[in-house]
Amino acid sequence: MTPEELTRRRFLTRAAAGALVAGTVSALLPARPAWAAPAKVGEAAPGFTVNATNGSPVSLASYKGKVVVLEWTNHECPYVRKHYESGNMQGLQREATGQGVVWLTLISSSEGTQGYVTPPQADELTTSRNAAPTAVLLDTKGVAGKLYGATNTPHMYVVDKAGMLVYAGAIDDRPTSRRADVPGANNYVRAALDAVAAGQPVKTPITRAYGCTVKYS
Amino acid sequence: MALRFLAAGLVVGMLTGSVLAAEPARAPTVKTPAPPGPPKVTVTLLSEAASIEPGASFWVGLRQRIAPGWHTYWTNPGDSGEPPTIDWTLPAGWQAGPLVFPQPERMPVGPLMSYGYTDEVVLLTRLTAPAGVPTGSPVTLRGHAAWLVCEKICIPEEAEVALTLPVMLGRAAPGAGASAIERTRRAVPGPSPWPATLRATPETVTVSVAAPGLEPDRIGKVLFFPDRWGVIDHAAVQEVSIDREGITLRAARGLLPEGAGSDLDGVLVIREKLDQGLVSQAFTIKAVAAGPGSGPSLSLLAAMGLALAGGLILNLMPCVLPVLSIKALALVGYAEASPGLVRRHGLVYTVGVLSCFTALAGALLALRASGAQIGWGFQLQSALVVTALAYVLFTLALSLSGLLVIGGHLTGLGQGLAARPGYAGSFFTGALATVAATPCTAPFMGAAVGYALTQPPVAALAVFEALGLGLALPFLALSLVPAWRRLLPRPGPWMARLSQALAFPLYASVAWLVWVVSRQAGPDGVALVLVGLLLIAFGAWLHHVARRAAPRWRRVATGLALASAAAAIALAPLAAAGPPSTATTGGPGGAAWEPFSPGRLAELRAQGRPVFVNFTAAWCITCLVNERVALRSPAVAETFARKGVVYLKADWTSRSAEIASVLDSFGRSGVPLYVVYPSRPGHPVAPEPRVLPQILSEGTIIDAIEKEIL
Repeated sequence: MTPEELTRRRFLTRAAAGALVAGTVSALLPARPAWAAPAKVGEAAPGFTVNATNGSPVSLASYKGKVVVLEWTNHECPYVRKHYESGNMQGLQREATGQGVVWLTLISSSEGTQGYVTPPQADELTTSRNAAPTAVLLDTKGVAGKLYGATNTPHMYVVDKAGMLVYAGAIDDRPTSRRADVPGANNYVRAALDAVAAGQPVKTPITRAYGCTVKYS
Repeated sequence: MALRFLAAGLVVGMLTGSVLAAEPARAPTVKTPAPPGPPKVTVTLLSEAASIEPGASFWVGLRQRIAPGWHTYWTNPGDSGEPPTIDWTLPAGWQAGPLVFPQPERMPVGPLMSYGYTDEVVLLTRLTAPAGVPTGSPVTLRGHAAWLVCEKICIPEEAEVALTLPVMLGRAAPGAGASAIERTRRAVPGPSPWPATLRATPETVTVSVAAPGLEPDRIGKVLFFPDRWGVIDHAAVQEVSIDREGITLRAARGLLPEGAGSDLDGVLVIREKLDQGLVSQAFTIKAVAAGPGSGPSLSLLAAMGLALAGGLILNLMPCVLPVLSIKALALVGYAEASPGLVRRHGLVYTVGVLSCFTALAGALLALRASGAQIGWGFQLQSALVVTALAYVLFTLALSLSGLLVIGGHLTGLGQGLAARPGYAGSFFTGALATVAATPCTAPFMGAAVGYALTQPPVAALAVFEALGLGLALPFLALSLVPAWRRLLPRPGPWMARLSQALAFPLYASVAWLVWVVSRQAGPDGVALVLVGLLLIAFGAWLHHVARRAAPRWRRVATGLALASAAAAIALAPLAAAGPPSTATTGGPGGAAWEPFSPGRLAELRAQGRPVFVNFTAAWCITCLVNERVALRSPAVAETFARKGVVYLKADWTSRSAEIASVLDSFGRSGVPLYVVYPSRPGHPVAPEPRVLPQILSEGTIIDAIEKEIL
């Protein structure tokens, strides 16, 4: 390889790195709806800070050392309702939080779209649905949603104690809105949590999320 | 009674169910805009048949009429959504196939992408009645259809559908849904005639479709819909480039890390720009994963290795073996001569082979660079070259048979052209071996030559030279290593027998070449070639006779022999100029056609007959693919017959000014071109001809004929 080629390669590497940084930065800018490279399973889960329903900012970094579940939701979506009306989601929330897992429910519906709620409405939903998340985060501008490439509701993510993203995708393997499909389904999130608790790699780390589109602005 | 059942059967599409889902949300205090009352999709079950024939299969369709602004989903719904389903409740013995989807649309939803349908879609199912279904009482076919319909929000809907049809013996008449189902079947992607590959880098996925010879200017849009999630980012822009080799589509990679590691099925939609707007055609393709190497599947060295092996095998081909054996037998003669001389002959022979390969490969690459769609063996596309080759091999065969002795030694073992003493003889043996070898594609050669043709000229030439070296190697080795030469048997009468025996593979090669001429130049061409061969044989005999004759007669005989050979040579171009080759024969089941001429076209149009003209050529791959995939289909033949369409074929294999001017009038400089000339009997002005896409499917032709010809 000639020195000239070396230089060219170095230049290309730098250009690529520059583009990557620019892409990440642009994704973080809420004003830009650009769809940058989303979080990747097997890499560090990107940090975010989003206000919870009580008005206080919650940042992912503050949960370092704990397993975190991220659940994107939209209470009017038939696929979300399948899991709440069957009690499946609340059951999993209790199971997880009972073992010390942090469960963050995120709502990325922009104002005026389906699933958008005010903080009191969100709390009301938690009460009326008997849900048990650690916190409900109102990601109205979709910053966290786009950072994670959340496309569907429900869309589930699991972050391990080291802050690595270890699961992204569907809640289970029955991509329907029928409640009758809940009992026989293979729950990917439960499987991921079990694997993380046992210190083993997640068997199915990436699956196709199913449901309604996230209602970004 | 039967009439009443028939009437009942015609009332197709009983929508008995209503929307069951979409119940209001349970959270009472949070305002939920409950999905508005009426369903967003109304469904109807259609049947292509008006009655059920026992034991027969027929298509039924679930028609979805979708509210404006809403959409339903394809089998792969994209980033979200769910494909429709139908669960059949059929009487015992009935069978239902899977749902068959017509080509979808791309529907961006914010930053996400959905694949599906708007407005109206018919989803097909093939039902098969049991052979024993009793006639007389009607049968009701029930299904539970469920689908997701989305605008900004999504609503799962479902309905019970049913269809009651009478059972009657004999072929069923078209049902009320026949035309809608027929239309949909044409929108269902058909199998693609082209191979496709899938390559991936960490960021991108590239699908390459080997559809050579497309005119990029006329392709409006190309879209790829993957059947499964995770390989290609659904929402990503698909960068499409079209060149001589085909279509290349690049998009951002999907989320599954192992996604590109296995083959990817999907639908390729090609929208072609025509005068009347875009025409959309869909094909199913299987993009074969290129493996983890993700580079070219064959390295240059591997290709050269394969070429070398292929070249070695070429030595055994019936057209090559006799040529080489002449040389090998000559070696036996040289055995006593100096090793240096033998070695030099071997090297000169190798140079002859390699120069001839260089010339052929150079010509091939130059022609391809100028846009010709040709492959190895292209030289045989010329009837003149084939005729010349037949003459040469025939002369050689005569010489091996002992009928023609050139150069004087009676004991010389059938020394023909290639046995001329001196280095020129060795050089020409090499050249001749190469020429004779080209029509034979040895195993291993195909892959190597295929690889070479996709490479830059230097790499391509390297592969061809490796092929040549393989061909030259056995003789070269024999001439370089005296020890191996000693393995050859001692000279003796057996050599004459062997050379006579070896004449027969050459005669066989000649027979094959004459058959090739018959494909290229028709019966007249064959007759002329046979006369040419006769003249050569006659000349050879005269020459033979002349050697023993008195000097005076010898001169006469030699003169006649030469005249005879000259006449044979003069006949060659005539033979080759016979009727031009046809691109293809009609083939079984295909529509009958007649040759195109502007006069015939004008005559037919004056008679008010509708005409379909196929401008084609034997060397046009796209044309041949279209013929195979579309034009030869029985359905097309049936449509032509039903509509009284006259099918003319304009063969541009050998260029003709007449056809060129017609092509030119459509703004084309080449083929394929497909034109429908509609007719409106009684109309004073003939309607404008309509140009069809350069990529044809059965559906496109039938659609055009149905639409243009009443």
